[in-house]
Amino acid sequence: MLVLISFSFAAMMLFCLAMTKHRKQVLEDEISSLTVRFFRPFAWLLLLFTGYLSVDMYGWSIGPALFFGALTIAILLLILLLTYRAKIVPPLAVIMPLIASIGIFIN
Amino acid sequence: MKDSFRQSMKWFHTWVGLIVGWVLFFMFLTGTLGYFYQEITRWMEPERPFIEHNISNERLLDIAQAYLINNAQGVDEWDIMLPSVRDQNLRVGWRHPAEAGKKRGKYKIKVLDANTGDEIERRATGGGRLLYRMHYRFHYLPTEISYWIVGFCSMLMLLAVITGVVIHKKIFTDFFTFRAKKGLLGWLDIHNVLSVIALPFHFMITYSGLLFFLFTYMVLSTNLQTNEDELDAMLDEIYPRTAHLEKANQAAKMLDISILYQQAKTTWQADELSYVEMFAANDVNAHVLFVRHETDITYNPEDEVMVNAVTGELILQKPKEYTVTSMIHNGFFSLHEGHFAGSIARWIYFFTGLIGSAMIASGLILWTTKRKPKQLKNPNGPDFGYRLVEQLNIGTIVGLPIAIAMYFYANRLLPVDMANRVNWEANVMFISWAMLLIYPIFRPANKAWYEQLTLAALVYFALPLVNVLTTNKHLGNSLLQQDWNLAGFDLTLLVVGGCFAFAAYKFRALQVNIRPSKQAIKKVEKQCVQAMNESLLPLQQVNKDQC
Repeated sequence: MLVLISFSFAAMMLFCLAMTKHRKQVLEDEISSLTVRFFRPFAWLLLLFTGYLSVDMYGWSIGPALFFGALTIAILLLILLLTYRAKIVPPLAVIMPLIASIGIFIN
Repeated sequence: MKDSFRQSMKWFHTWVGLIVGWVLFFMFLTGTLGYFYQEITRWMEPERPFIEHNISNERLLDIAQAYLINNAQGVDEWDIMLPSVRDQNLRVGWRHPAEAGKKRGKYKIKVLDANTGDEIERRATGGGRLLYRMHYRFHYLPTEISYWIVGFCSMLMLLAVITGVVIHKKIFTDFFTFRAKKGLLGWLDIHNVLSVIALPFHFMITYSGLLFFLFTYMVLSTNLQTNEDELDAMLDEIYPRTAHLEKANQAAKMLDISILYQQAKTTWQADELSYVEMFAANDVNAHVLFVRHETDITYNPEDEVMVNAVTGELILQKPKEYTVTSMIHNGFFSLHEGHFAGSIARWIYFFTGLIGSAMIASGLILWTTKRKPKQLKNPNGPDFGYRLVEQLNIGTIVGLPIAIAMYFYANRLLPVDMANRVNWEANVMFISWAMLLIYPIFRPANKAWYEQLTLAALVYFALPLVNVLTTNKHLGNSLLQQDWNLAGFDLTLLVVGGCFAFAAYKFRALQVNIRPSKQAIKKVEKQCVQAMNESLLPLQQVNKDQC
């Protein structure tokens, strides 16, 4: 479940960085427009992967329901952080999925 | 009506939301608590023992069966509920004989001490069940009427959800936008964000909510289009019946359930029993059904294992016959109630429920915030309608959580042997809510908000303390026993109290900022005079900035 939340968080952050308005909020340096163009397809890929993961973990019936739940929590977290602590979003989006994946392998 | 489609939808969304907003807030909040109704009930019965660690399912089954042999003589069907994450006590239950004039007897649950096997005397309480039943069956109203009110409100909610999507012009470009410090815009963003991020939940919960009382709402259709037999056939198709096991009326000695359980264990290849149902006990035809935690939203036949309780043979035919219709129907119920949810998923359900309540609350606040500047300019003060909405907002959005806390206080403080105790718990809740609805009439809105927020914080912080003073199931002990079920409840109360305290603090801070200090006023006056001398336009700007 936590792994789903953290992957959705990362995917949603990529969507968010694809928008100029939010990119300025999060990143200090301007990045090349070529890189930015990759954000959105990448975000979709990551989101698809999260959906797949959810179905893989919980089956076709419960998986999609929990995927939407995880997505909701992830976006809420992202929006709150964007407003109040925008700078920690990118590191968090990397660290959270990493920790969550490691947690799965340990179990 | 307004000219464009979007405009008219906006008009519709605003007024539909306003009319039923407070009822919906009540339904959403009590419904959200319903995701934890078992946990709440356990907290509200402090006579129950703490969790027993390291006790095997077989041992628990033996204890329960021993109790049932002594105390449930002549009862054909009974259940054993094993301790779970949601309720860490061993429980047994069966339907008692019907009282005079009633069709069916009451189903009563008894809580057992997992060490001694004795029944535990518990106080009379409505528990979490009464609280969550309120969200579809209003407490003081007859069942039929409350179903209709709930249906009406849910239908309008569904319309509000759909029109909300229509009028939200920039769902994707504003997906992450939350301008916290922009007053009206901030409230609009909060409302949008809360609606959009949990949109699947909002739609699902409203739509499936309407399905619950399908045959009440669609009464015209069922009455006109079907005859009695067709209706029965339809009901059979939608609601799967458990096949009734006939007694052979031949007494027989049953095997120990703990031994029979081995069959289920081998089938599942795991020790994950949730509850046990017994049919035709102490008969040749006795059957026992082992059920594990649900692994499918609709229905997974493999979650149940039926065993003949006398011979111990596995019965392959399933006790419930599900049609496709009933599976879909059951799926919607299960989604609505979150049957399948484990502990983290249950918390997510809880949070999304809170997001829903907050969405409704923010919509209501948005209505007043939008009209506030105009209303304050009104020479006779704000309109009656505006004031009413504001008072209802304060009395419901902050008042209802306080009233719910009062329900818990009543549980701890009312005398244990009081007559009609269950009713009085609910009465205390509704009396406090009524008082909190009336209170804002006599106070200026800003003060009423602040005072009720502070009161909410106090009430929630004090509840764990009252728990310490009145019972031994308080936070100290529950943490010591690692009973996360009980500890979680107290900790949640503290967190809720913290949230209210923060809200009160923030509210106060904003008020202080808005109310200019004497120096600031002088400065503004100076600016105004200057501006007047120069031209009219800057004056308006200054005024705007200060408002």
